[in-house]
Amino acid sequence: MQSSVPANEEKLDNVKDIKKEINLKDFEPKIIGFLCNWCSYAGADKAGSAQKPYSPNVNVIKVMCSGRIDPQFILKAFEKGADGVMILACHPGDCHYKEGNYRAVQRHRLLLRLLGQFGIEKERCRFDYVSAGEGDRFVAIINETVETVKKLGPLKKV
Amino acid sequence: MKTAVYFCSCGTNISDKIDPRTVEDAVKKSNADVIFKTAGFLCSEDGKEFLRKDIIDNGIEAVVIPACSPRDHEKTFMNVLSAAGVNPYMMQMVNIREQIAWVTEDKEKAAAKAINYINAAISRVMLQEPLEKREIDICSDAVVVGAGPAGLKAALSLAEAGRKVTVVEKSPTIGGLPVRYEEIFPNMECGPCMLEPIMGEALHGNASGNIEFLTLSEIEGVVGSYGNFTVKIRRSPRYVDTEKCIGCAECIAPCPVSSKNPFNCGMNDRKAIDFSFAGALPNVPYVNAGVCLRFNGGEGGGKENAGDAGDNGDNENAGLCRLCIDACPVGEEAFKFGEKEEILERNAGSIILATGSSLYDCRNIPSLGYAKIPDVYNSIEFERMLASNGPTEGSIKTADGGEPQSFAIVHCVGSLDKNHKDYCSGICCEYAFKFNHIIRNKIPSAKIYHLYKEMVIPGKESGGLYEHAVEDKNTVFIRVSDINGMTVKEEGNKEGEGGKKIVSYGLLRSARNSDHYCASGDNGNISVDLVILCPAVVPGKDMDKLAGILEVVKDKNGFFEELHGRTDAGRSKIKGVYLAGTCHSPMDIKEAMSEGMAAVGYVLSGLVVGRKLSIDPLSAVVNQDICSGCKVCIGVCPYKAVSFDEEKGSSSVNELLCQGCGTCVAACPSSAIKANQFTNEEIFAEIGIMTA
Repeated sequence: MQSSVPANEEKLDNVKDIKKEINLKDFEPKIIGFLCNWCSYAGADKAGSAQKPYSPNVNVIKVMCSGRIDPQFILKAFEKGADGVMILACHPGDCHYKEGNYRAVQRHRLLLRLLGQFGIEKERCRFDYVSAGEGDRFVAIINETVETVKKLGPLKKV
Repeated sequence: MKTAVYFCSCGTNISDKIDPRTVEDAVKKSNADVIFKTAGFLCSEDGKEFLRKDIIDNGIEAVVIPACSPRDHEKTFMNVLSAAGVNPYMMQMVNIREQIAWVTEDKEKAAAKAINYINAAISRVMLQEPLEKREIDICSDAVVVGAGPAGLKAALSLAEAGRKVTVVEKSPTIGGLPVRYEEIFPNMECGPCMLEPIMGEALHGNASGNIEFLTLSEIEGVVGSYGNFTVKIRRSPRYVDTEKCIGCAECIAPCPVSSKNPFNCGMNDRKAIDFSFAGALPNVPYVNAGVCLRFNGGEGGGKENAGDAGDNGDNENAGLCRLCIDACPVGEEAFKFGEKEEILERNAGSIILATGSSLYDCRNIPSLGYAKIPDVYNSIEFERMLASNGPTEGSIKTADGGEPQSFAIVHCVGSLDKNHKDYCSGICCEYAFKFNHIIRNKIPSAKIYHLYKEMVIPGKESGGLYEHAVEDKNTVFIRVSDINGMTVKEEGNKEGEGGKKIVSYGLLRSARNSDHYCASGDNGNISVDLVILCPAVVPGKDMDKLAGILEVVKDKNGFFEELHGRTDAGRSKIKGVYLAGTCHSPMDIKEAMSEGMAAVGYVLSGLVVGRKLSIDPLSAVVNQDICSGCKVCIGVCPYKAVSFDEEKGSSSVNELLCQGCGTCVAACPSSAIKANQFTNEEIFAEIGIMTA
């Protein structure tokens, strides 16, 4: 067991070096956004039709309902190198499938506890509501999240 | 799998920001086998034809289309795939217009993002499976539960469209609540007369052959789903043959026993064999077996006193009362005293719930004295008092037989009150002004007080009755602060003896037309002869049972819950079960009738004779081998589409009821459920490429 100590120290030094190399100003976070088909995806389209520019750092994956978003998806995204994950759902009471967004918010809350144990800051996993008409809100949430994750820096590889 | 990318430039909408050549080079670099082509307007007729031909010519099996939002043209391109002989679900659109080109300022970043998205789509489309729309045969018939305005309108309209309809009505008569009302707002039309043409048409009109009325009947069970329900109906015996009886009423007078008439809220008696009221339809009396001597061991009169109608004529009937039979001009054959309760089964593709509502129990506000103090009535009891076929034959009387000279009409009883019902029923003010009008006609000098919290009289025709009341010098409006704080007491402690009632209230605003003026916030008292309470409209008493049988969801107030409160208020959350009238929300007769028609629209457009029902393949599928039987999926499904097979110990999804949200898929701890077109593998593939 003792022999592993110097190896670990070496590793830590490496991490420090990597950190030095990254100029946080140039850091472009990779963020995965899970959007439901009926509200938030339509909200994103609305921002598009209105040609409101926003940060390109969020890659969108469409699901039919936020209730489909399996916590596994979020963990997989972090595992594969995402610096942040967003879940955008219909507003409470607006879910096309009645209550999928309530499931999504419950799962998100539980997942945040788990993420903490993994050393992933909860700010990296954002849950929010966007309706089909809220193009401006969609843009604001995207830009805000990108800024937040930029400030947090890249997700530490443990 | 031979895969092609068809990049749509959308004129210059996309290519202005995202250079197709850059994208093509990058995509081909990571996907050597993929064909990449660019078109100007893929959604144009030329574009679609190019797409169709190219798919065929190159033997393409899976297609990725970077273009506009799938919300614009996914269906368009799915149809092209079908036309090219490729399964339409073997396609993935990439939204590079709305979600990249139009919103990304930096061209390089836009192109990089598009390349990333397209690569993700390629990796995903290769995992996609061809899905087939399944088609099932349907039964185009319908069951309508409830024969009030909404149910009758629905049944008649469906019958006129050639559909077979079974109307299940729990009471012995059809017509619902309006047949109890002598006159209805806003135009003082006669309630039964208004319904008469519809009821007559439904019973005897051209389309009546398509309608089966089952009175004294209730839904006992329902199995199956949209398109193919089997409805079990429990029919209680009427003991009179509806086909043979001629409705002459000769049997009624000789009948020696009586009981309270529920139709008149127990305010008078009916014979053991009687109509609910004069003019009831179907025009056939019914026997109350609870009091009829034949069922209660009592001997009665009648000539032979031996042998019997509807029975085998054996001796056990000897000595039983037969006064009604003897009085009947048709004779024994009109009676069916041997009739037993029956369980009937009807097949139906759709079910329309039009079960109506009832009134909030005024005893829940004990200070109002309802059911304790004489001359305190709820609105439906007062309606019966006003009716010429009611217990007082239309004359307004106090308990001691006198004519009341002063009235308190209390609006908003139990309404707009979080301790009782937090909503406004929207009809009470209107009928309260109808009462005002009728009282004024019958007793011109009467003093009428309206005590209300809020005044709600919507609709273009409602102003008239209200104006009459406002202009009337003997009608007083008192806006009170709280109905719960109101008390009704008998004057001078003569409990139960009738006489004046003192109504005490907290005043919210100074009263209009009032000689009982007091300042806002003060308490006021009025002394009246008769009090009419206008309670909130609440769900009917039998709705719990029905909701349980049909698994229809109820809202927080106990009404059937709509699929969507505005866009789909006529549909329940169970596919193929529609809602009409006050079973899902308080409303007036006009709205209930319109809702009956709306339900018919759903039935006619949803299930077309000769057309099969096609099932969207975007549903969830349970792998029975992996399912551990934990039933988590059943609890999360908003559509009751998941059921549990106790024998197999596993869940299964009814693809007809499943709406494809995927909530159960995410909930399954064993990953035993697959969401067609949104499988874990497909989404993991997207995640993998997008984070790379």
